[in-house]
Amino acid sequence: MFSLKPTAFAVSITMLAGAPVLAADPSLDLVAPLADYKIYVAENTAQLVADTDAFVEAIKSGDLETAKALYAPTRTSYEKVEPIAELFSDLDVTIDARADDYEHAEADPNFTGFHRIEYALWVEDDTAAAVPFAERLMADVTDLDARINALTFPPDVVVAGAATLMEEVAATKISGEEDRYSGTDLWDFEANFAGAKKIYALLRPLITDDAAFIEKTDGNFDEVDEVLAKYREGEGFKHYEALTDDDRAFLSSRVNTLAEDLSMLPGKLGLS
Amino acid sequence: MNLPRRHLMIGLAGLAGTAATYARAETPLTSDAPKGHVDTAVQRVPFYGPHQAGVTTPRPEAGIMAAFDVVVRDVDGLEDMLRRLTERGATLTAGGPVPERDPNLPPADSGILGDNITPDNLTMTVSLGASLFDKLEGLDRLRPRQLQRMVEFPNDALVPANCHGDLSIQFSANLPDTAMHALRDIVKNMSDALVLRWMQEGNVPPVLPAADGTTPSARNFLGFRDGSANPDSNDADLMRNVVWVQDGAEPAWATGGTYQVVRVIRNFVERWDRARLSEQEAIIGRRKMSGAPLDQPDANEHTVPDYTAGDHTPMDAHIRMANPRGPDADKHLILRRPFNYSNGIASNGQLDQGLLFICYQADMELGFLTVQNRLNGEPLEEYIKPVGGGYFFTLPGVANAGDYLGSALIMAARQS
Ligand code: HEM
Repeated sequence: MFSLKPTAFAVSITMLAGAPVLAADPSLDLVAPLADYKIYVAENTAQLVADTDAFVEAIKSGDLETAKALYAPTRTSYEKVEPIAELFSDLDVTIDARADDYEHAEADPNFTGFHRIEYALWVEDDTAAAVPFAERLMADVTDLDARINALTFPPDVVVAGAATLMEEVAATKISGEEDRYSGTDLWDFEANFAGAKKIYALLRPLITDDAAFIEKTDGNFDEVDEVLAKYREGEGFKHYEALTDDDRAFLSSRVNTLAEDLSMLPGKLGLS
Repeated sequence: MNLPRRHLMIGLAGLAGTAATYARAETPLTSDAPKGHVDTAVQRVPFYGPHQAGVTTPRPEAGIMAAFDVVVRDVDGLEDMLRRLTERGATLTAGGPVPERDPNLPPADSGILGDNITPDNLTMTVSLGASLFDKLEGLDRLRPRQLQRMVEFPNDALVPANCHGDLSIQFSANLPDTAMHALRDIVKNMSDALVLRWMQEGNVPPVLPAADGTTPSARNFLGFRDGSANPDSNDADLMRNVVWVQDGAEPAWATGGTYQVVRVIRNFVERWDRARLSEQEAIIGRRKMSGAPLDQPDANEHTVPDYTAGDHTPMDAHIRMANPRGPDADKHLILRRPFNYSNGIASNGQLDQGLLFICYQADMELGFLTVQNRLNGEPLEEYIKPVGGGYFFTLPGVANAGDYLGSALIMAARQS
């Protein structure tokens, strides 16, 4: 308790004051990346609101094909900032929960959000069934955007966020269980990955004493890019089922290794 | 006096720590750990030698069979993976203190064995699947001659998610946590090269010594002793014939290795438990309690059955079909090293348990394949269902600290 490292101490001051404080300690260089990251998140939640608006519009007008086409791209801005979005656990549940999170699965009255809509569009094949959930989603993402703008970003959450995003992929995307009705998992995968890469890229200049770490992590990010590139189609990605067993195993190895290595980031940057 | 004991203890602890410790040692509390055994915790199976441990070394209580996909790109990547796997195997089986790290980093070790890893008879046996030889350029010509993808037998209902793999690791240890610790270590440290494909945990129930001091074979989940007729793993000459690949039989690098067959075989235990004892014994070909052969029902499990003496043992009994004990019987011997497994319940509400069958042999065709082909159609099939597994080639041993698993294979792959 009383042995707070200078860095952590200074960072908590930053949080309390809500205004960046620069200090002599080089680790406090975190302040600039945090500010940049906040801009990145704000851009994404604003995009999420705009995209959701169009998505909801398609659902309400009964245009099943357009609604289906907009499902995956609308989600991507949420998936990019998931570690921050998860700070609001009430909204994360109503926006992004999966049927497995409920005892009665798809039939559960509390099941809402993207995946409930996905279920309506792909399985129930019915835009009307999706309307109440679409309206709720619109309200939730608008609320999320407002809350994010008012938030001071906790440095530990941001720094740990890179690994969190990789854990997301390892836990739910690689198996194809996240977007099980639509098969659009690779879109999410790419978005989680882009979000992690953003955080890593912002913090990378601060890691001055571990060239091997940088080289390995850069390499792993690049290799995931290469494999994902094989599955690009139009503006997005092929169906999850197109993923070969070999590529799945390869991606899984890289994602788990990234999760493992990026879990070192907070410690490396002196956060506790 | 009816003072709650816990309170008394806390009171004592507050007054005098040592007194409380003393009192606790006498009568353990609900939350006290079950007492470990210092003598078994320090047991160590030598890691180095001409053969890998975990094949002819004694089978301890706990086992895990794990199959992985290997995601290296070339022979260099394979070498790097094998070297690191060797390093982990040598470290974990030797035991010792867990390295300390800056507390702001995730710990280097899962910590499930505490800060000092006990060797606890741990072995890690590494084997390669046929798919690895297909996958990597330059490896195909070095494939062990009889290594193939597991075939489907008539009674099989293989679940794809529980089959095959580029590499298997068989973990054995006295305690399940020791085996699990080793698996967790591999998953954590080798994620860039090894992706877990399927795994099955199992155990061997310990058996009390018999009156004459020998330990009878453990029982499987059908309640029969399993291992009675296994070839003697302490007989080095016999093991050379039955288990270890000799010079000339296979690509040179493979000498000292062995074929590993893994079969996850579900047992329909509810149904079995409703079968008459006489039928159970006829199906297996042995007495259930003693393991004695049916022609000498009062003998013990190690008595050799005599199939010429009348028709006591049905022709289609498991042991008789597996080994008719004809003139060529020695050619078809295999070394079985199975574990029992229990995976909760199946979707029909029945218990999902069975035998994690593992066997080793120098010749796949003469060994497992011949025996399994003889067993096809056996009456036991009504009570069992193979659902997973794979065929692998167990690498030769690591000679010494300068060597690594598969070094001879890597060297051969580099010579074109
Ligand atoms: C769940 C499946 C199985 C069960 C419950 C089972 C059970 C038994 C039992 C109780 C014995 C007698 C004791 C002994 O000698 O160990 C035995 C013997 C044997 N089993 Fe199995 N077994 C199974 C699968 C297999 C398979 C898959 C093979 C090989 C393909 C096999 C090969 C043998 C052999 C070679 C013997 C020794 C026969 C002899 O030399 O007398 N078993 N098994």
